[in-house]
Amino acid sequence: MEDGEIEEGMITADEFPTSEVTTETIPQPREPAKSPLELLRESKTSVEEIVAKMLSIKKEGNNKSEIRELLTQMFLNFVNLRQANRAILTEEDKVKAETERAKAPVDFTTLQLHNLMYEKSHYVKAIKACRDFKSKYPDIELVPEEDFFRDAPEAIKDKLVSSDSSHVLMPKRLNFELLQRKELCKHRVRLEQQKKSLLETIAERKKFLSSLPLHLKALKKASLPVQNQLGIQHTKTLKQHNLAELLPPPLYVIYSQLLAQKEAFEECIDLEIVGSLKDAQAYVRQQTKKDSGMSNNTESSRLEDDGPDDDDDGQRRRKRPKKLTTKGSDKAGLYQAHPLKIFLHIYDDENPDTKSLKLVILKFEYLLKLNVVCVGAEGSQDGPEKNIFCNLFPDDAGLEPPHQSTKLILGDGQAFDENRTSRPYKWVQHLAGIDILPEVSPILLGQETHNIDSAKSDVVVSDLSLYRQQHRVQRILQRIRSRKKAHLALAEQLDLLMKHELPDVKCEDAPWALHKVLCTLDSWLHIQASASMSSSLTLNSMEQVPEPMEIDVDGRSISGKEDLEGIREDGELPSLVTAAASVTSSNHTPLKVSNVARSRQLALMTKNLDSPISKGKSPSFKKYEDDLDLVLDDDSEVDEPAGTTEAHVEALYPEKTDNSWVDYGTREFALVFSRKTDGGKLCKLEATVQISMEYPLRPPFFSLSLHASSASGNENGTNESDHYNELRAMEAEVNLHMLKIVPSDQENYLLSHQIRCLAMLFDYYVDDPSPDSKRGTATTVVDVGLCKPVDGKLLVRSFRGRDHRKMISWKDRGCASGYPC
Amino acid sequence: MYGDATNWNEEDYREAILKEREIQTRTVFRTAWAPSAKIPNPDAFVVASSDGTLAFHSMNSLVSQSASFGYSKDLNVMAAEPERVVRAHEGPAYDVKFYGDDEDALLLSCGDDGRVRGWKWKELVESEVSLQENHVKPLLELTNPQHKGPWGALSPMPEINAISLDHQSGSVFTAAGDSCAYCWDVESGQIKMTFKGHSDYLHTVVSRSSASQILTGSEDGTARIWDCKTGKCIKVIGSQDKKSPHRISCMALDGSESWLVCGQGKNLALWNLPASECVSTISIPAHVQDVMFDEKQILTVGAEPLLRRFDLNGALLSQIHCAPCSVFSISLHPAGVVAVGGYGGLVDVISQFGSHLCTFRSSSL
Repeated sequence: MEDGEIEEGMITADEFPTSEVTTETIPQPREPAKSPLELLRESKTSVEEIVAKMLSIKKEGNNKSEIRELLTQMFLNFVNLRQANRAILTEEDKVKAETERAKAPVDFTTLQLHNLMYEKSHYVKAIKACRDFKSKYPDIELVPEEDFFRDAPEAIKDKLVSSDSSHVLMPKRLNFELLQRKELCKHRVRLEQQKKSLLETIAERKKFLSSLPLHLKALKKASLPVQNQLGIQHTKTLKQHNLAELLPPPLYVIYSQLLAQKEAFEECIDLEIVGSLKDAQAYVRQQTKKDSGMSNNTESSRLEDDGPDDDDDGQRRRKRPKKLTTKGSDKAGLYQAHPLKIFLHIYDDENPDTKSLKLVILKFEYLLKLNVVCVGAEGSQDGPEKNIFCNLFPDDAGLEPPHQSTKLILGDGQAFDENRTSRPYKWVQHLAGIDILPEVSPILLGQETHNIDSAKSDVVVSDLSLYRQQHRVQRILQRIRSRKKAHLALAEQLDLLMKHELPDVKCEDAPWALHKVLCTLDSWLHIQASASMSSSLTLNSMEQVPEPMEIDVDGRSISGKEDLEGIREDGELPSLVTAAASVTSSNHTPLKVSNVARSRQLALMTKNLDSPISKGKSPSFKKYEDDLDLVLDDDSEVDEPAGTTEAHVEALYPEKTDNSWVDYGTREFALVFSRKTDGGKLCKLEATVQISMEYPLRPPFFSLSLHASSASGNENGTNESDHYNELRAMEAEVNLHMLKIVPSDQENYLLSHQIRCLAMLFDYYVDDPSPDSKRGTATTVVDVGLCKPVDGKLLVRSFRGRDHRKMISWKDRGCASGYPC
Repeated sequence: MYGDATNWNEEDYREAILKEREIQTRTVFRTAWAPSAKIPNPDAFVVASSDGTLAFHSMNSLVSQSASFGYSKDLNVMAAEPERVVRAHEGPAYDVKFYGDDEDALLLSCGDDGRVRGWKWKELVESEVSLQENHVKPLLELTNPQHKGPWGALSPMPEINAISLDHQSGSVFTAAGDSCAYCWDVESGQIKMTFKGHSDYLHTVVSRSSASQILTGSEDGTARIWDCKTGKCIKVIGSQDKKSPHRISCMALDGSESWLVCGQGKNLALWNLPASECVSTISIPAHVQDVMFDEKQILTVGAEPLLRRFDLNGALLSQIHCAPCSVFSISLHPAGVVAVGGYGGLVDVISQFGSHLCTFRSSSL
């Protein structure tokens, strides 16, 4: 603005002279002291006046002289004018220069101002930039003040006075921070370098390692012959361990625990995992896939699934009849087994140096769907009766699936497939570490308190410590071993018996071992194991009903008939068959009674099952039932009407506790001893021997019946009741009392003992001690002070008690009938 | 229980099997109704079995226990827990009788160990120790004499097969295995009289107090009538020759003590004692093992599961099927209820109308 003013001033100054040029010329010469402007104005006015005069003169034209004068004056004025003009111009120059001089400082100042302004805006910008500064790691706070004061190096800190403003402090802190960060950066670089070098070494070593297996393989191959030579199956065990890792958990427990037992106690067992590695791997993979898939879904779908699950059950139930009839393909699915199986070879442990005596091979397999472990004897394809693993422990026939869940899967009433040789015994589940809740609350079973406790502990079994504590492996191995040995011994004895030879008893202490058997073993027949059939009946399909019934009943009576006829040349009717039809109907032979009872049971069982198939399809069974009614009618001389008895029986039957497992796999044999007495009578002792699977723990059970006939061939009134008490006493002796005398190491030969004992008892029974018989026991009696003779001779007693039972005096090693005790 | 693979106890299991068999081979030799003056209905009775125990059962609890069990020919019978058990004898207990009718009655039992033991019935019933093996000390203990042989050797202890009581004279008669019958004094426990004459052991003894006689039945196939005062044999019933093989297994007198029934082999012989003659003989298919008078009827059992009822003429009135296959004992309650016991440890209680009140297997000890 000052500029503008200056400019204006300058312009006016410029204009001014031009106007002055015209005006100044005159006054200036006149009055030089005066300001040129005034001079100019005076000169101008004077010029105008002269001109005016001249004009007037000219008009008048008269005074030409005067014009001359006026002209001079005029010129004079002009000079003045010029002078004034010149003065103005110089003046103007002077002013101009002056202005010029004044303008320079102004310009300088302006420039300075601009510079400052620029500088200021720059600072403002910088401040703003600083203010807006964002750290790369906004979450890392500045080092706190106290840390700074503590840790910062003196170089940064020393100039600091405590009273310094926070602003001063801040940069210092920042500096410190910067310092620290820089150091860290350096550290990082160093570490990177280290890492790089390490990676390099690792890569190098890896390379070495990857090349190593090749070498090792070569070594291993080379070592194989040596291993074989030395009997160290290192490679094999390694392979087995690899397989073991793929085993399903229950089988794994079996494997690991058996192995541990083997290694810890040098059990004579061998373990082997058999199966395709690939299949197992595939299965594991599939399983994990399924698991991961499941775990995603389960949470969401669990709640919804509850409803449909019930539906499923219903469907299954609906499907079941179909299953019964077709036994089709989906069953195979149910019984699908894990690809890996465990083979367990059990050796005899009594002579450990020779490993040759192989007792039995067990095959463990795991059924995936049913979640049970099954076991079977490898290599034996015999019927269920030959299966030595059933009832290894009480109530374990292996027909009933051990878990409730399995039962649900299989459906109600549906037993485990009986045709399978490998069965889900409970003990296998125990061996596999699967613990089962008992089906019925242990309190209901009326156990004593400490048992309840143990049952409780069963429930909470979770880890293997209890498993080991219970010595399950040891116990089961021991049981299998003793079972197998017992059955080997039993088979040996049965073979002998089949040849109608009395098996020898290698025992010095038992009286029957010393007794010279006088009677002969006439026959030893295997009867169809009816008890096991009956149990299978309840469990299996109904179509089988008629056949076993016929075999059972007819087969027995026929066999009895045949063998009796074989012995009685005169072809007299065997009493066994006639007994039922004979005069007084009420005297059944025990065989008959048991038959009736058994068939009654069967009838009731079938009734309970209430299967439409059985009602429709078993005419022969029906027929038998009619027969049975006949038998009952015979009985109904009894005042009580037969109908009510039946009703009672039916009402009673369901109440019975199910003990059918005891009979499972039980074999029945018919044994006949015969002896001719001195009086020419032929006595026959018939025994039905039930040999349980649990032999010898559950000793064979003998049911006896006796038939006597005179040589002449007349039926000598062989009424059952004649010998009833005697026979029962003999039964009690054979089935119960003598067992206590058999030494425990002879346990496996219990059957021989029992049969020998029976033979001895029979001999004693037939040895009629009555005075007219020559044999008698008089010789053994003399040495004992007996009752005072009543009629002049020694009283020989051979019977005693209200039941008129034969007295048998047991001594240390011998025994005799009569009273020489 | 004996556990499974988890806690296996083989010994227990073996014992359990044998125990089970033992129970099934047990025989009930005698049942006896307890005297109950106040209650006319049959309630308590004692069961003597071959394991030497006496078990008391109460009808009330039995009937309530057996509510769900009916009668059946099956072997599935209820196992009843007795109210009290006393181990009375080593070896089988053969007979048990009540001495006296009132509350102070004595319970006398005899057995294979040749002893008679007696307890106060009231004390026994009310004794605290229950169900456990109970060694209640007997009030009375009579031991059969053993005979001395040469050099002082003792004969084996003869068993006592039956006892009979005479409340009037305070005597206990025993039928012993040494072919003698003995008369004991209840108070002193001494033998008052020995009846010698049979040639084989005695099965049964019955006292005929009205005539101060006893009647004995023996293995030798004869029955004898003895005079208690002199100890002499008055009469021998039955042939003494050795050809008759059958023992006299049981005898019974009727209420008037003028009729005697003898069980011998498969026959029952009915004697009129005043007339001393055999009135009739009844043949039975099975060996007779116990017989009893019910007014003018004869109840008999034998080695068959039947309870037969005859009239005095020998006509069969009824036969009732009962649980034990061989029945050793009938006992009749005045109210007409009959308890039979026999092989298998089975006891069957049959009402006067022929229905089975309860059937059970005494699970004592």
